[in-house]
Amino acid sequence: MGVTILTQFPTENRTGPQTIDVLSKRIMALGAVQQGQFLVDCETYTSVPQLGPQRTVHVLHNSEQPATVFSLLETGSKTIPLATDGLFDLLMMKMSSFYTSKKQTKAESKGPRYEIGDFCVKLGTVTVSSNFKGILVEVEYKPCVVPAMCWDLLKEFLQGFLGLSGPTNPPTYLQNRMQEIYSPIDTIHQYLEHFTLFRKSPGIGMRP
Amino acid sequence: MERDLEQLNSALNSVKILRSNVRRVFESVSNGLRADHGDDGKESKYILELQELLTTVNNNLRDVENSMSNLTPPPGPFSLGNTTYLSQETTQERQALYGQLVNTYKWTDKIREYSALAGNILAANSFNKTYKTFSTTKRRKTQTSNHNVPPEVIENLITSIDRLFPDVTITTNSPFVPNPVIQGRVLKAIIAFKGLMIEWVVVKAHAESNDLWTESRYKVFRKVTENCHAAMCHFYSPMMPELAVRSFLHWFHSYNTLFSAPCKRCANHLHNNLPPTWRDLRNLEPYHEECK
Ligand SMILES: [Zn+2]
Repeated sequence: MGVTILTQFPTENRTGPQTIDVLSKRIMALGAVQQGQFLVDCETYTSVPQLGPQRTVHVLHNSEQPATVFSLLETGSKTIPLATDGLFDLLMMKMSSFYTSKKQTKAESKGPRYEIGDFCVKLGTVTVSSNFKGILVEVEYKPCVVPAMCWDLLKEFLQGFLGLSGPTNPPTYLQNRMQEIYSPIDTIHQYLEHFTLFRKSPGIGMRP
Repeated sequence: MERDLEQLNSALNSVKILRSNVRRVFESVSNGLRADHGDDGKESKYILELQELLTTVNNNLRDVENSMSNLTPPPGPFSLGNTTYLSQETTQERQALYGQLVNTYKWTDKIREYSALAGNILAANSFNKTYKTFSTTKRRKTQTSNHNVPPEVIENLITSIDRLFPDVTITTNSPFVPNPVIQGRVLKAIIAFKGLMIEWVVVKAHAESNDLWTESRYKVFRKVTENCHAAMCHFYSPMMPELAVRSFLHWFHSYNTLFSAPCKRCANHLHNNLPPTWRDLRNLEPYHEECK
């Protein structure tokens, strides 16, 4: 597990599949090889009023860690991350009388996964309850685990691949964690950040 | 020494001649009168022959005595140590051991002689591969020129190097084979020592296993491992093994900027999707494989 940067790529006048097509042609031209597909999904549950102050649980799955269920509990003052095995999904079903999910908030990002050198690139089409919302590009530099050390290197890679749309600053979530050892939950945090923004944004209205 | 040997040789030679001529006397005596002495005055002929032979023996004996008097007697009994017991060996197959021992001794003696010569020649043509910054006169005194040292010496060396680089930790996890693991935030390296010489280096990612025999699954660390092997040979110095280890680790420490330092020549981070994996052996500057 290396440092991962998640960034949104503007679709401009293109449809989702067109954008993915443009990006996959670019990454293939750089010498990448496609290695299957990937999927990150997120379901959000809120506590019922009887439990007191409202709390939110985000449950996420990442195909890169298929045996793990990630959950982030928001109490209002802090966020508690939890990484568990698959049984957590069943536990959430048992707790459906305390934590309810709004079906129209189910978000996911999926698409092709590429390997190029020690980099792993994922081109994700984001949908919220099946409505197309945008494109998320995930780039992981697998050998390095400290964000501060490889941020410039990743920025160079991203800009070489995304051009001017590449990020100029580290993701906000990482900015005060640049010296810490990176772990899969950090990727989950970044996805949640983007999913939350996509949920708030009005649908682009284009079919995926 | 040379003269002594020569005299000993000539003395042995004269003893040999004496023995062979004495043998001829006895041969003649045992044969008695032979047909080739003829009929007339065969007794006087025979006596003449015997006289001649005895004169030769006499001369030979004089030669032996002369050469003996030239020899200097050894000052006392030779001390052969435990090897003297080998001569008392009774089992058949072990009786040859003494000869083998002597041959081996001669062989090692020759090796010592030749290596001393080679050492002199090499010292006159120094390559200056190692960094002299480490070799203050104080340290040089303690430096050993022998790589075959007890494990404690290696352990002490490793701990002293560990103190030099506060941003990495060097640990030896095995009590018998000191294969130290260098663990930093960028990478880890597993080093195999043979005495004070570095035998093998493997560089791996932070989270990979400490196994010496499997290479990293990442291209960048495989490339760094390759470059480490080149540097390991470059810094290798049989005369100053400790300095060689220090120089190598000093160079190796420059990889703490593996992901963060751009290439000195092209100023980019990436080339062929790899960061600058080479570090200059003198000034430790980062270069891409293709840019060095
Ligand atoms: Zn370069």
